[in-house]
Formats: sequence, C-alpha cells, structure tokens
Amino acid sequence: MSITVVLFWFLTALALLSAIMVLLSKNPVHSVLWLIVVFFAISGHYILLNAQFLAIVNLIVYAGAIMVLFLFVIMLMNLNAETEPQKNTWLKLAGAISGGSLLLILVSVIRSATDMTGRTAQVGEGNIGLISNLGKALFSEYVVPFEISSVLFLSAMVGAVVIGKKD
Amino acid sequence: MNAIILSAILGVIMMFSGIWVNNKATLRWIALAGLLVLLISNIAEMYGYRIWNVNVHNMLYFDRFGLLFNSVAIGSTFIFVALSGSDINRVGKYAAEYYTLIFFVLTGITIISVYTSLLMLFLGIEIMSIPLYILTGSDKRNLKSNEASLKYFLMGAFSTGLMLMGITLIYGATGSFSIEVLNNPAIAQGVSFLEITGMLFLLVSMAFKVSAAPFHFWTPDVYDGAPGVFTSFMATVVKAAAFIAFVKLFDARMSYSSAVVDWKMLLCILIIATLLIGNITAVFQQSVKRMLAYSSIAQAGFMLFAVFSMNEMAKEGIIFYAVSYSLATIGVFAVLLKMKDFTFEGYNGLAKSQPVLAFANTVFLLSLAGIPLTAGFFAKYFMLASVIQTGHYLWMVIVAVLFAAVSVYYYFRVIQAMYFKTGEGETENIHPGFKTGLIILTVIIILLGVAPNLIINFLYF
Amino acid sequence: MFSLQGITNGIEKWLHNNMSANMALLVECAIVIFLAISLFAILGLILVLMERKVAAHMQIRLGPNRVGPFGMLQTTADTLKLLLKEGLTPDGADKFLFNLAPFVIMIVAMLILAPIAFATGFQIWDLNIGVLYVTAISSISVIAILMAGWASNNKYSMLGAMRSGAQIVSYELSAGLSIISIVVLTGSLQISEIIESQRNGWWLFKGHIPAVIAFVIFIIAVTAETNRAPFDLAEAESELTAGFHTEYSGMRFALFFLAEYINIFIVCAIGATLFLGGWMPLHIGSWQGFNHIMDFIPSSVWFFGKTFLLIFLIMWFRWTFPRLRVDQLLSLEWKYLLPISMFNLLLMTVVAIMGWHF
Repeated sequence: MSITVVLFWFLTALALLSAIMVLLSKNPVHSVLWLIVVFFAISGHYILLNAQFLAIVNLIVYAGAIMVLFLFVIMLMNLNAETEPQKNTWLKLAGAISGGSLLLILVSVIRSATDMTGRTAQVGEGNIGLISNLGKALFSEYVVPFEISSVLFLSAMVGAVVIGKKD
Repeated sequence: MNAIILSAILGVIMMFSGIWVNNKATLRWIALAGLLVLLISNIAEMYGYRIWNVNVHNMLYFDRFGLLFNSVAIGSTFIFVALSGSDINRVGKYAAEYYTLIFFVLTGITIISVYTSLLMLFLGIEIMSIPLYILTGSDKRNLKSNEASLKYFLMGAFSTGLMLMGITLIYGATGSFSIEVLNNPAIAQGVSFLEITGMLFLLVSMAFKVSAAPFHFWTPDVYDGAPGVFTSFMATVVKAAAFIAFVKLFDARMSYSSAVVDWKMLLCILIIATLLIGNITAVFQQSVKRMLAYSSIAQAGFMLFAVFSMNEMAKEGIIFYAVSYSLATIGVFAVLLKMKDFTFEGYNGLAKSQPVLAFANTVFLLSLAGIPLTAGFFAKYFMLASVIQTGHYLWMVIVAVLFAAVSVYYYFRVIQAMYFKTGEGETENIHPGFKTGLIILTVIIILLGVAPNLIINFLYF
Repeated sequence: MFSLQGITNGIEKWLHNNMSANMALLVECAIVIFLAISLFAILGLILVLMERKVAAHMQIRLGPNRVGPFGMLQTTADTLKLLLKEGLTPDGADKFLFNLAPFVIMIVAMLILAPIAFATGFQIWDLNIGVLYVTAISSISVIAILMAGWASNNKYSMLGAMRSGAQIVSYELSAGLSIISIVVLTGSLQISEIIESQRNGWWLFKGHIPAVIAFVIFIIAVTAETNRAPFDLAEAESELTAGFHTEYSGMRFALFFLAEYINIFIVCAIGATLFLGGWMPLHIGSWQGFNHIMDFIPSSVWFFGKTFLLIFLIMWFRWTFPRLRVDQLLSLEWKYLLPISMFNLLLMTVVAIMGWHF
C-alpha cells in the first residue's frame, strides 16, 4: 500500500465521518465545524489528484469565507442544542428512509455502471487542476459561461443590498 | 446573443438610473423603453441581424424556437410592466432595483431558451432564480413575504444542488456538457446507469422549477406570500421559460424509447399527479391569489404534455401555451392587484362597479379555462393533439379533459362572483390607461384564439 | 561558505544513502517539525521581548531589565511561569472546543510556514500556488478565533471574536488584492519564482507607484488581520477585557499569545518576500562593487533582516496611532482600502501588460 492509497482512505473516512457528524451534532456550531472538516478532507482529495489550485480555492471560498459567515450568523443568533426545534420522530424516520433509498440507488448505480469499471483517477499526475491550465480553459473555451456568471454575482449583490438595507 | 447581452446591460442601466432618477413613474418608462429595445433587438436576431458576434464555443445555439420564445418572454414582460408597473413601484422603496432584477431574470431566461450546454443551463437557471428569491422577499415588512422568500430560496437551492449532482453524473458518464451528446440516440437509448441517474436528477430539479407535483410544495406558499406583482411575473414568464429548458433537455429521452427507463411512464405519472393535485386543491381555496397559485400548478400539468409527446406539434404548442397562459395570467393578476380584497367575496359585484375590469377578467379566466374563441383553447388543443399524434397513452387525453372541466369550476367561481353576486367590488383607483391596457390584452387573447398561427408562423417564416 | 542549502542537501543525501525512501521522508518530516516548533519557540521569545523593548523605547523608559543581561531572559521566565500555571476551563464552556481552539490557531500558524523561503534553497514546500496557499490558510485562523470566543461562554469573548472575525474577513480582501498585484507582475504564484524575479531589483522599487500603493495597503491590511493596534478592537482592554481569549489562562493563553506573534512574523515574511525580494540581497543597478559587497551577506540574514524591519514597523504603529472605532475600521476597509486596491490592481495590470516595470 503506497502512501497515496493510505492518504486516500484516511481522507475518505474522515470526509464521510465528519459529514455524518454534521447531521448528528445537536449543536449547530458543532455541525458547522464538522462541515469545515469535510471541506478540508475534500481539499485533501483535490491535492491527491494534483489539483492544488482547486484545493486551495475550496478552502478559501468554503472554509474561509462561507463557513465563517455561517458561524457568525449561528453564534449571533445563539442557537443552542436546547433551542433547536424538536422534529417529529416519524418525519425523521421518513427522511432517513428516503435518504437511505437514494443512497442505495446511487451506490448500486455506481457499482453497476459499466462506464466506470477500469477507469481510475489520475493520482498525482494529470495537470488539468493546475492553475495555468484552468486559467487557459476558463478564458478560452469557457469564456462565455465565465463572463455570464458575472451577471449571476451582480444580481446576487443587488439582491443582498435590496434585502439587507434598512428602509 | 443580442438579448442576453443587452438585458444584462439594461439591468445595469436600471441600477444606475435608480441613483439619478427619483421619480418612480419615470423609472417605469425607462424600463418599458428598455424592454422595447430588447424586444426589437431579439426580433432582429430572429431575422439574422446580430449586434455582437461572439464565439460561444457551441454552448449556445440560436435557433428559431429559442429566439421566438425569447420574444414571447420579453413581450410578456413588456405587457406585465405596462399593466402592473405602478404596483411594482408600490412594493417598496427600491423600484429601480426591482426592474434591475427583472432584467436579470430575462438574462437567465434568454440563456436557458438557447442553451446547448448543461453548464449554460445551470447558469441560466441560477440567474433566473436568484433575482426571484429576492423579489419574493421584497416586501420586507410582511412576514409572509419573508417566509416565502426563505422557503423558495432553501428549496430552490436544494433543487439546484440536485441539478448539479445530475450534471456531474452525466459529465462523468459522457465526458461532455453538451446536450448534443446527451441527445445522441445511442446515448439516449443506452444503458449508462450513471447518465440515467443524472437525467433523473435533472428531471427532479426541472420538475421542481416548473412546480410539477410531487415537487410543487413550495408553489402555493411562495406565490401566496410574494408581493402580487412578482407572483404574476414568476407564475408566467419564468415558469414558461423553465418549460422551454425542460423541453430542450428531454428531447431525445422522449423521442427514443430507452432500454432501461420508461421515460414516458415517468412523465405520465408526473402529469397525472400535477393535474390532480393542482386542480383538486384549487377547488377548495378561498383566496383568489392562492387559487391562482394552484391553478398554475394545474396549468403546468398541461404544459408537461409538451415534454411528454415531444413532436413538432408539441414544440409549436408549448410556445403558444406560453403566450396564452402568460398573457391571461398577467391579466388576471393585474386585475387582482387592483382589488382591495383577494378572496372570492372581494370580487362580488365587480361587474357593476368596474364593468371593463370584470369583462377583461372574464376573458382572461375563460382563456385559462380553455374555452373556445380564446387563446387558451388552442393552447390546450395543441397539447392534447400532440399526444394524440404520438398514438400512445391516449387515455391521458381523456383524463386531461376531465381535469380541464374541473378547472372550469374554480375559474367560473370568480366570474360568478363578479356578475351574479351583489357586493361592493371595491378596487383601488383605476387609471384610464390601465383599462386601455386591459382591453388591448383582451383583444390579443381573442385574436390568438381565432388565429393561433399569428404566433406559430414565426417559427417558420 | 556557510549556506543553509548546503546543510539541507547534505542531510538529505545522507538520509537517502542510509535509509529507504519512505523512511527518509519520515525522518525529514520529523526534522522539519522539530525545526518549525523550535523556530516558533525562539521567535515567540524574541518577538515578545522586542515588543516590550520597542514599547519602552517609544515611551522613554527602560523596559524589562532584571532577568538576564538587559532583561533578555525576561520572556523565558514569563513562559516558565505560564507553563506552571493552572489552565482553567470556565463552567458552562464548551469544553472540547474551548480546549481545541488554541491548538487550531497554532496549527494554522505552523501550516503557513510551509511555503516561506528562509534562505537560498531553504524552504519546506515550494508548491506552485504558494502565495494563494498562504492566503487560504491564514483565513482559517478566523475559525479558531470564533471557536475560542464562542466556546468560552462569555459575552466579552464572544464580542471580541465577532469583531476580530469581521475584521479579518474584510481586511483579507485588500491584503489579497495587493498580493495579487505582485502576482500579476511576476506571472507566478510560486514563492521561489517570485523571489527569483526580484534578482535585479525588488518589486517595491521596480513596480513604480502601484507597487508602493500595494505595499502600503498590504501593511495596513496585515496589521488589521493580525489584530494589532491600531486595529486591536478585538481585544480592546478598556471595553472587552482581553477579547476572545479573556477566559484562557496558563499554557493555553500562552499559545494564543504566541500565535499572535507568529502571525505577525509570517505576514511580515510574506511582505518581505513579495515586495522586498525575500532573501535576495539589495542590488543597485550597475554598482558592481556595491553589489559584490551585498552578496557576501548570507541570504538568511537578508531575509530575517527585512522581516524584522517590517515587524518593527508594525510595532511602531502601535505606539503611534490611536485605536479605531468599529465603524471607522470597517469603513476604512470597505470604503477606502478596497476600492483603492481594486483600482490599483487594474493599474498594475496595465503596467504589467505594457511592460513599464523595470
């Protein structure tokens, strides 16, 4: 077992475990912190795939910015385990069953997918995730969606001001 | 490309005019002028004149179908702003921003009507949805509006997540974002499980966007909670646009029978559920606004027939349905917004106090119910005829006609209230221009009801 | 000649000759960890002493002068005292997060150390997105601060953490933009390449006015990011006791204290690398003789010299400017620094495209 394989399994287990902990934590702050761990584990996967840029951007955007905002809001609202609304047990059960069947289907699909067998990820090689290649792809082939996404951000910003500003 | 770029630019122009123009009425005129420019530029593109020559790398394809729908959407928005502009100005302080967001929604719509890449589909849907979340919550003092906005946002974000997951799976299976690859018969009939799962995810998220049952739960609350003007916009132009995206996405799925999934059967279940839930629940509503929310679910059930049968007639039909449904619903909402009381009782005796409003409203409701001589009749006719043309599932036509009959009941309740019940029929002050607008809209709907080819011919000539 | 590169290469060669590849890697990791921790300890001792001496000098007093010659062992004594003190965990605190936070903040500080080049060829990990890595990891420290503030179950801590979080998140933007303006000039995110591009002159001098503006903004932003005066509202003593680490005592407090100084060191090292040429000696145009003399000074001395110069600058600020109010702090960033640095980035791009820099 080479060191990348060990790292892969470690990161995968970490990501899954923390994702489950996000759901199981009673305290919303703990949930957010576990989510940050998930993002770190996923960034680790990116690094294994030699996509350092994506890994770092994942950290900057999610762990560094979005999750900090989440923490801010949750801490300011002072949500505790006690103030969390108690959900109906049947509702929880229904959620677990439907989520579980989705999981079952996804797992079975991936296991039986003929187009997945024999394909392996490019670990440590493959240079598509490097910043220069990504930049070239973004500004040549994908330049139209790239530019159009600015409208998306602009509308979100306008919306934030409209919603957030005091009347 | 004209409409995409121009609508984004016009949005920015509206934003800045909010700084320099203090008069809200002027803002409305600017918005109307902008929409007119947009409409003209888009029609110009239909005849081959392009302002910008952008290399889109096969991510967009400007065919007649998409461009005609763009014209329809922009035209409907024009009528919407012309009729209900004063109500937009009444929602809150930020009239310029509301118009800005409407222009951005149009950007999204003009993208998803011409996309050929799943990436553009995603971007278009998002550009269309995010301004709507804001517009839903724009009545900040109203708790219901806030609730609606939050609900819409959370559910919308979830469905977008599903869509992204689906796109990822499809990309993993085919190595491409292009719907040409996706609509390739070999792939559409094939047994790539990853791709099929991806398509299922896309089906769910698109069904959410068009509020087809059982993914409709957000619709009544959001349509009811949002400020009425924006409900009108959401229920018409935006919904029709989501259908166009739906049609383009499932083109090949419906045309070829797949070895693994019976897509027609899936769609069939969706349609029946949507018709059932939309129509039956609408019967029990006390508020006209909420009734219209459920009726829009029911109408979505009819529009789903286009996705179901997927032939030439269905494509003509969906455009025609979009026009007739949008115009009629905009009209109904425009009248509704002038009412002081949104319940059925509020309409009592409207024919006495405001005969023009009552008459126009009657025509709109008849069109929604699909009574002959109105545009709605031909819209429903096209949908059902396209199913008959495919030759399968003919029993669905009968079911649909039955549900159309149910829908007549709740639409006629409003007409009955207006004409046959006594009451005050209290309205806001009605501007003569508003009445003129309603009459023009009525004339358009009746004209289309007599000669539907006025719109459909644009597809070919 | 004395060279850190020679030593590291020698060690690596020896390890690879005597052990298997995996084993050698492990031993190298152990050495790096040991070096990083000892660097932290030494830096902590030096910087705290330096702070007190600089403060004393500014206020015309002597500063620590009892323990050891010129009071040089004062901080060592303080550290020993903190080590021996009891670490209290307040009642009602979230015990796990409360105890975790100081370690997270230290780990983050250690992680940032990875791409910093201390001397010629003396760098832990020369990854190809070095600068971006530093920005990314440093933004994680906010989480640790919020964790500490929230877990303490104390309103002063909470307010301090909130302030500090808002401050770091907002000032990160202009710090990032001024870093990017140098990246635009070099065309690379790799630290070693950025340093190499300054062989014939430092970017502060080569990049004309935009580089100077970027440098000034960078210094202001990192001062705020490290919660130093005049931006130390997060721990404004008169209002919040000690901000997010009010409830901490003993060694855990020492870790926060240490992390603050380490962060100052790191941001100054980044500043020195980007704007002042890292370990590159000062060269002036065609003055052959002068350049030769400068080359004789070891590269590590250059690096630490520049870094400590910047650290001195930041300490100087503390005794020069009064503390800002929260609204002033945020409007300074969002209304002035951010627009200026965005415009500056544009200007820098023009300079880079037209090739106006030297």
